[in-house]
Amino acid sequence: MIKKILILTQVSVGISALLSGAVSAQQAPVKVVEIKFGKPEPADFVAKNFVADSAAPAVVLYDFGATRFQLNGNSFQLESERVTRIKVLKKAGYDVATVEVPLYHRDGSEEKITNLRGFTYNEVGGKLEKVKLETSNSFLEERTKNVRVRKFTLPNVREGAVIEYSYTVTSDFLFNFQDWTFQREIPTRWSEFRATIPEYFDYKMLMQGYEPLALQAREDGIAQYTVRSQGGFVEGGGSALSGNTGRVAASAETITPKVTNYHWAMQNVPALRDEPYMTTPRDYVARINFELAGRRMPGESYHNVAGTWQKINADLLSSDEFGGQLNRASFLALAVKPLMTQYPDPAARAAAVRDLIVKSMKYDGTNHHSASGPLKHSYELHRGTAADINLLLIAALRQAGLPAQPVLLSTRAHGRVNQTFPLLEQFNYVIGMLPLPDNQELLLDATEPLLPCGVLPTRCLNQVGRLVMDKEEGRWVDLTPSQRHNHFQDIKLTVDAQGNLSGQVRDEFSGYTGAAVREKLQQLGEKKYVTELTSQHPNWEVPSYAFTSVSEMSQPLRLTYELRQQASTAGTAQELYLKPLEAFGEGQNPFRHEQRNYPIDFGASTQDVIMLTLTLPPGYTAELPKQAVIDLPEKGGRYVYSATSPTPSTVQLMSRLTLNKPVYSAQEYTSLREFYRLALAKQAEALVLKKI
Amino acid sequence: MALPPMLLPVFASLTLLGSPAPKYPADAIAPALRENAHAVVRAYDEVVTVKSASQLVKTVHKVVTVLNEAGSDDYGQLVVSYDALNRISYLHGAVYDAQGNLLHQLRPAEVHDQGMGSDGGSFMTDLRVRYADLRQPATPYTVEFNYEVVSENTLFYPNWQPQSAEKVSLEGATLQVVTPTALPLRFEEQQLPAGAASAPTVVGSQTTYRWQLPARPAVEEEPLAPSLDELLPAVRLAPATFEVQGHAGSLASWQSLGLWTYQLGQGRDALPPALTAKMAQLMVTAPDPRERARKVYELLQSSTRYISVQLGLGGWQTAPASSVASGGYGDCKALSNYTCALLKAAGLPAYVALVGAGTDHADVRPSFPSSQFNHAILCMPLAAHGATPADTVWLECTSQTDAFGYMGSFTGNRHALLLTPEGGRLVATPRYGAQANRQQRRTDLWLDAAGGAKATVRTRRVGLAQDLYAQLLHGADPDEQKKYVSNHLRLSHFTITNLRLAAATTPQALPAVVETLGLDLPAMATAAGRRLLVEPNVLGRLSALPAQVGPRQSPLALPPASLSQDTVRLHLPTGFRVENLPEPTQLTSAYGTYTSTCTALPDGTLQYVRQLETRRPAGATLPPAAYTEYQAFRRKISQADHAQVVLMKNDA
Repeated sequence: MIKKILILTQVSVGISALLSGAVSAQQAPVKVVEIKFGKPEPADFVAKNFVADSAAPAVVLYDFGATRFQLNGNSFQLESERVTRIKVLKKAGYDVATVEVPLYHRDGSEEKITNLRGFTYNEVGGKLEKVKLETSNSFLEERTKNVRVRKFTLPNVREGAVIEYSYTVTSDFLFNFQDWTFQREIPTRWSEFRATIPEYFDYKMLMQGYEPLALQAREDGIAQYTVRSQGGFVEGGGSALSGNTGRVAASAETITPKVTNYHWAMQNVPALRDEPYMTTPRDYVARINFELAGRRMPGESYHNVAGTWQKINADLLSSDEFGGQLNRASFLALAVKPLMTQYPDPAARAAAVRDLIVKSMKYDGTNHHSASGPLKHSYELHRGTAADINLLLIAALRQAGLPAQPVLLSTRAHGRVNQTFPLLEQFNYVIGMLPLPDNQELLLDATEPLLPCGVLPTRCLNQVGRLVMDKEEGRWVDLTPSQRHNHFQDIKLTVDAQGNLSGQVRDEFSGYTGAAVREKLQQLGEKKYVTELTSQHPNWEVPSYAFTSVSEMSQPLRLTYELRQQASTAGTAQELYLKPLEAFGEGQNPFRHEQRNYPIDFGASTQDVIMLTLTLPPGYTAELPKQAVIDLPEKGGRYVYSATSPTPSTVQLMSRLTLNKPVYSAQEYTSLREFYRLALAKQAEALVLKKI
Repeated sequence: MALPPMLLPVFASLTLLGSPAPKYPADAIAPALRENAHAVVRAYDEVVTVKSASQLVKTVHKVVTVLNEAGSDDYGQLVVSYDALNRISYLHGAVYDAQGNLLHQLRPAEVHDQGMGSDGGSFMTDLRVRYADLRQPATPYTVEFNYEVVSENTLFYPNWQPQSAEKVSLEGATLQVVTPTALPLRFEEQQLPAGAASAPTVVGSQTTYRWQLPARPAVEEEPLAPSLDELLPAVRLAPATFEVQGHAGSLASWQSLGLWTYQLGQGRDALPPALTAKMAQLMVTAPDPRERARKVYELLQSSTRYISVQLGLGGWQTAPASSVASGGYGDCKALSNYTCALLKAAGLPAYVALVGAGTDHADVRPSFPSSQFNHAILCMPLAAHGATPADTVWLECTSQTDAFGYMGSFTGNRHALLLTPEGGRLVATPRYGAQANRQQRRTDLWLDAAGGAKATVRTRRVGLAQDLYAQLLHGADPDEQKKYVSNHLRLSHFTITNLRLAAATTPQALPAVVETLGLDLPAMATAAGRRLLVEPNVLGRLSALPAQVGPRQSPLALPPASLSQDTVRLHLPTGFRVENLPEPTQLTSAYGTYTSTCTALPDGTLQYVRQLETRRPAGATLPPAAYTEYQAFRRKISQADHAQVVLMKNDA
């Protein structure tokens, strides 16, 4: 099995020494791949060069990006050039020929695409046929208010074709220095990125993924810019996003700042594949991210843009979309004040305040770390983003005399947080935290009415959050939930001499399973829920059922039903073989694939218990299966199975599966898969009933 | 009610003075309408005004009370789509609390606008949506929307189906169509209660048609039922004559619709001279018409790909064949038109045909000529040639991998509209019966003494049964194929040791896919003392059908007829003998026949043979009561599919 090591390396502009870790291990000099645009390599049309890629629909032969700064009048812009060449191997790979380039624009600032060029090459009768990308192969869509999409599709794409395209994007958004992704869903032979950054700008760079760099270099140089404007250096643009800064001279003037030329490349990068129980592929893809940390203009001191946690906290707390809202919630006073006297206990009061917010606010499904507008406005609309709702919750808790604080986090779909980087953009969500008298900390979210107070939605279960504190650094907060994926079944069945079963089942869903089942029940309704339950068992009949504690979120959701299960083979026999647990267990190993590349992330720990009491037909005894205890390494989990006979006519079976960790590493996959196999085999073991 | 117009402003200002009267309080909803409902449509009033042959205005007044959270996403928001030929003139909205007090009036800035390029799968499309979100945290609440769409695409008149999904009930709805008497309305009613339609009234030069629906309780989708589109009351509208972007046409008959579409594409079949010459050359090198057509199709499949383009009239008019020749791509119309041009140049006349494509797409309603299609294919009549009799070949021009002449579940078993110079003609596409939807499997199981097994499986799927596997074969790489197969094997625990998919053909020219699978099954048999219990039907089990909870409401719609054959050879571990073999099973019903046998062969192995042929009696749908009978049949099959062999360890 291939061991993969997650590489997370910090590249800091301020430090002159080059990187550590995986990169320095790669000492052998790598030949930089170069191509001539418009001139394909004959080797790319020789079939034997693609034998190793026979599984792939297409292969990226060359992917090159270079970002540098240019002056537009007196404002700096980012100019990013891209050149891509792809070999199409199969018809399934035709999609790579259609490309979308999203272009952001806002308040007069924009991203623009220029110099779009492209060619398709096909070998026809031993000769290379070259077809140009025409403007008719391109289309511009106004996707949303702030996003345009330039789409183009290369002509004459066939099996064996090589396509290439290049374009340049100029951007006014210095904050939005585009990531470079080295890895795709198809294999990549060569992926290279260059960045040329003048001394005026300080970007933090973060490398992530499981693939090593083939090349990493850094060189200092001098750039030359001509400033065509009037006045001195100014900070341009009121909006933070436009970020335009530049030198303004009385007339055309040349400036020659020092620049740093960065150069990274990866070679033979495998395709990235989705796996079940994964947070997001974004967490695993080989990628380098850039964040503007500061500006250092001539004649000015260093202007920190991101920097420290303390600064992020201060910026957030003074921001109109965050801290500015938290203490401006007197409009909540009327609703909140009565709760203060009604609930003297802080935890109970917090639950009551949360309940109030849950009932007054509908989550619109969008996530952000800051409010979308004044909270009063959202409150009047009764609808908002996660930040709107949870900042409102914090404000309401404070109105109720409870000192709640905001905690930033990144949802599972948004990706893992790198704790070494004080970057606000790593986060896309905010929740509340309330210290309780007994040194407990209550984490609070009001976006999900189906969850009890103190339980975070599944999307938030992403390991750590960052507490935002006034005039302080703040700290990391563990988001690992104490609630589990919890399922309990209490089953009482009677078997007759034909092997037919009948009896009662009590199903209890709590923790995250409770929330998931409540949601499903809400969508389907009781009748359809039960219909679906029976559809998994061809010989089940459910004559009656009842759900209880459906809307008491702090209680387990209970389903009790009457069950009749017809024997799969008719007739009476001297011996009956029964697998009574099988229908109530998972049935199938959730880990169907033999191999795994990335961690298995359940978000929370798991417990699944089945207690089954079986009454035998008169005149029969049972041969009991052996009991079993199966442990995962390092206390990762345990499966316990027991079969006992408390009275001569009854058998009691117990099956308990516990997974103690919310996240298992890829190295633990094999044992996890085997653990489930053994557990399922015990659940499927037959009970032999013999006539005395 | 006719009021003197002068009085109106007075009323309006009066209501503005005090607080507005509550609207649509939730407690006014009858209990029967709350049952099984996430939402109640309080009013759905649609007015369609035909301005001229080329313009139509639709206004909608829609009021929905959302009863619980599960109804919020679908009914607390509104999405209205538009494009180059359909413009939204206004979209207003308001939301009321349970008592009917106004909570919020939608502001123009709260109406979002978005292009659909990301979702529609289209490369170029002018389709966009406007949407408004009025969802509330506390249910019940009521949303009210008013919007108007002006359409310059009168080929399509709106359809009216005020209750169109499960778990939503209806309090009442109206439809009114006002049209110049000179432009008579055509309509088709579905499942309307008595008295829903009123006699048309004529005032001056205008005729007005009216329908209304009384209260209706919520319905639920049931397994194996026709889609609710077909089961719920609806009025479908169509023009008699229309004009789109200066192209006038008539929907009086399929002939006239076909003629209009044909003429729209006329003169767009010119090919580059070199290509025409290459096609003409085929007449020499491939004298057999069928062979020649096959060569043309191969050329198409190897040199073009499908890219969807939906821009204005381009949604109905084909791009010129020359553009496909130069770019190597096109949408269904463009690729069909291009292939038609290629075939013509090769001396093979063919016709473009419109079809409603998709496995679940309802067939055309032949009695109501109107644009019911979403796809274009090609139909080529072949004259007799030598000993070969005359035949008709159908071609799917958007697929680079489909077998020549094969339609499959996407476009087979339905009607298509042939576009000929004389006009349209509704014809049937190829029929695929049980033999053209079959699966044959041979499994060898080598059992070990601990109950584990190694298996080799060879499955040959033909016709409709291979459609999905053909996509997997051509559209997915080996890793994805393995992932798919893994996710669909219903086994407790297994490891795939080998997987290979390969294309094959049958003598009837049906496509086939052969799957070779190797499996490690550590828990194939269950140990019970000295015995091993084995269910030999490892892979061929029919999935269960949900039990009927409560009385069945919908008709029964059966899947297409099919044939599946399984042969399993069980190789016993040494030291074991057979203690018990399952009895043979034979089941016969109106829905099919099932047989299974398990015998000991002279070489000491066991052979299990199972065959299931399903039928679709009496067309597509059966009365609701048939579900119980059908389910009983399926249950007996499920039971038989678990037939068990008991092996006994020999005494040492």
